[in-house]
Amino acid sequence: MNDAAATTNGDMKGLARVSRAIAAASPALAGATASPRVVLQFDHTSRIYQPHESLGVRYRIEGIDDEKVRAVERSAVWYTEGKGEEDLEAHFFERLFGQDAVATAVPDGSFAIVLPTSPLSYEGVIVKVRWCVRVRIFFEGGKDFVSEHVFEVGQIPPARNRREPLA
Amino acid sequence: MTAQRPINDGSSEFCGNPFSTRYTQPGRITPMDRFGRPLNLHGILASLAELGGTAAIQGPHGSGKTTLLEHLACALQHRGVCVVRVRLRGMSDALKALLAIAQSPPSGIVCIDSWEQMGRLLSSLARGLAWVRGCHVLVTSHRVTGLPLLIDCQTSHPLLVAIVRQLPSHEIWHGQRIAAADVEEAFEQCGGNMRESLYHLYDRFERHGREVPDMPVMPAVSIVPLRSMKFMKPFGIFFAPRYPSTT
Amino acid sequence: MKLPRFFGKKRGHRRTGSQAWGSFGEGLFYAVLLVSGFVFGGLVLSGTVAYSPTDPDTVVLQHGYDWWMWLLTLLLPGALVAFGGSGVMRVIRVWGKSEEHRAASMGLSELLDTMGQAAQDAPGHPGVPTCENLVNSPGTILRYRLPLESAENWTLIGFGLFALLWNAFVLVLAVGAGLDLLSGKTDWILFMVLVPFVAVGIGGIVVFVWTFVLATAVGPTQLEISDHPLVPGGSYDVLLGQAGTGRFRTLEVFLEVEELATFRQGTDTRTERLVVWRERVKEWHDVELAPGGRFESHFMIDIPADAMHSFVSKHNSVHWRIVLRGLSESRPAFTRIFPLVVFPLSAPSVRPPVHSAWQVSP
Repeated sequence: MNDAAATTNGDMKGLARVSRAIAAASPALAGATASPRVVLQFDHTSRIYQPHESLGVRYRIEGIDDEKVRAVERSAVWYTEGKGEEDLEAHFFERLFGQDAVATAVPDGSFAIVLPTSPLSYEGVIVKVRWCVRVRIFFEGGKDFVSEHVFEVGQIPPARNRREPLA
Repeated sequence: MTAQRPINDGSSEFCGNPFSTRYTQPGRITPMDRFGRPLNLHGILASLAELGGTAAIQGPHGSGKTTLLEHLACALQHRGVCVVRVRLRGMSDALKALLAIAQSPPSGIVCIDSWEQMGRLLSSLARGLAWVRGCHVLVTSHRVTGLPLLIDCQTSHPLLVAIVRQLPSHEIWHGQRIAAADVEEAFEQCGGNMRESLYHLYDRFERHGREVPDMPVMPAVSIVPLRSMKFMKPFGIFFAPRYPSTT
Repeated sequence: MKLPRFFGKKRGHRRTGSQAWGSFGEGLFYAVLLVSGFVFGGLVLSGTVAYSPTDPDTVVLQHGYDWWMWLLTLLLPGALVAFGGSGVMRVIRVWGKSEEHRAASMGLSELLDTMGQAAQDAPGHPGVPTCENLVNSPGTILRYRLPLESAENWTLIGFGLFALLWNAFVLVLAVGAGLDLLSGKTDWILFMVLVPFVAVGIGGIVVFVWTFVLATAVGPTQLEISDHPLVPGGSYDVLLGQAGTGRFRTLEVFLEVEELATFRQGTDTRTERLVVWRERVKEWHDVELAPGGRFESHFMIDIPADAMHSFVSKHNSVHWRIVLRGLSESRPAFTRIFPLVVFPLSAPSVRPPVHSAWQVSP
């Protein structure tokens, strides 16, 4: 290791102080409040939908008794999964903030959307397309929590399960 | 109220691949040492402070340098430190790094990925500039940099095993779609490169899934972003394997 | 929003700092780049201006530098302005927003999206590529003529463009040096720069010519199709026309689906391609072509009813294509790729077209 003789920045000393303080406080954090969770139900128990079909969800947020919710975001997004970098696009997005609006969405809420023509859910080999509903909760103090629930649009069979093996 | 279908009831229709980049990209996996034990990020940040705030994370390709840098950058940001991230893809990005250092406030940190792209002359210039500005640089490199060494990332088979253990629904597919021998083979074939090993295991998982279609399928997985993990761990920077959003 | 604190305390599981402020440096960095670009460029330009000593109200230009130095000097402030401006706009767009919020607002800010992601989607079909470039060429017998997309074409175009642009630049430098020489001024720095530039330019021309010869060794291939875009469950007429001379040992036509995934990490950009489905549509052996002649064949392709549609996003895609592979007697094997776009069926009641007879193009 190189023994740097550089002047120690005051903020980095502060950072070290904080680091030590946090390390000392760690045992006290073991009894932190339970994690929140979102229990969500789709109107189709199979969670399979067709393009242009209406999708309805109901959800309940649990485990946030002593936390004050600042805002809630509800969205339906599709994303890619596989070997490539993840791409994501929101088909439906709704942000609710303010006491009155949040009260309609926490702890119970629901919404319904009409699904688009595309893209369909796809189980490829190195590229997969998935749809999901996300409920994101923002708390006072800046922290947030998100829950994701996958559903299927269309019924495309997985790739490489077709007529003939590759020539 | 029924929620998402429970795990492993046989009717789930989703077959996620746990080795997708979604679950393995930097920031998703807990940084660990070469023995597969979680790194003490507090200790690392304390070491960084003792080194004066400027240091290097060294290691070969695919050894988790970028992953660790990302976790440290997030941890510093959570503490309100001004952090600028620069990713170097070639010498042409060196100007980006120099300008980031030139404009960083004295208490700030410039996190530079792939410091070796700077070259000797530009890296010396960057170090001098950081000293003049009073800011700090935290870099990754797969060569010796001359900067104080914060941590030397090394890979090993136990590390790959520990990474694989963190992936979603590990208890369902491990031993069936991916065996311990597959992990060992991936490590050896890819020369210890963790990234390549994970790609190798991705392919293997896919091949195995299509050969044996009646294997238990994986449920949908809840993804928790980095900054939300503080509900599970003190610092929100360790990967909480899953929040089951099911009953 | 809380004020920044450069070290914060943790109370229980809360943090007192805000992550948004941690990203403040990034926005500040790009803003300063932008301002630096304007300031630097202004200084460079203003350095050419001076006031006439005899008449302070008159501005004269000073020619302190050669013209090619100007060109190089103004590149730097221009790059700073472009880079800083795009960075500032990106930071403003994503400031304090969740991942879903950013994705939702992308549709509202196509002008800010420098990659132009939204422009490549077919109208009304998110995630499906547009097929405008595939239906703008009418066929002679069937409705559309498909463009050719193959690596050899792109390589040839790439080499050609490079040779053209590079040699144009070299020509400009050479003319400037020549004019300087004729006027009695010898700029040795310029001459030293010219030597490697000229060498690379000559190399570029040689490579382009060689690639051109290889690409034209086999005659052009023409593919026409009865309709486009395609839909699952549809059957389509295809007309293949292959020109050239000599004998082809085999000619094969395939219908393929290829997945493409791109991932960046550090300095690596990894792009992987995988053909996940392939059907041999047609195959010929020992095809003899007379000089000036052309091999023609008509056949049908079927898109499976449960096929995935074409898909495109920033880093991932699913492509359909018709691939012609040929092996000739005296020339290297060749591959010609014709892209297709398969749309999703818009509604279950929509029946896919069946084209079982020749269609006369309009």
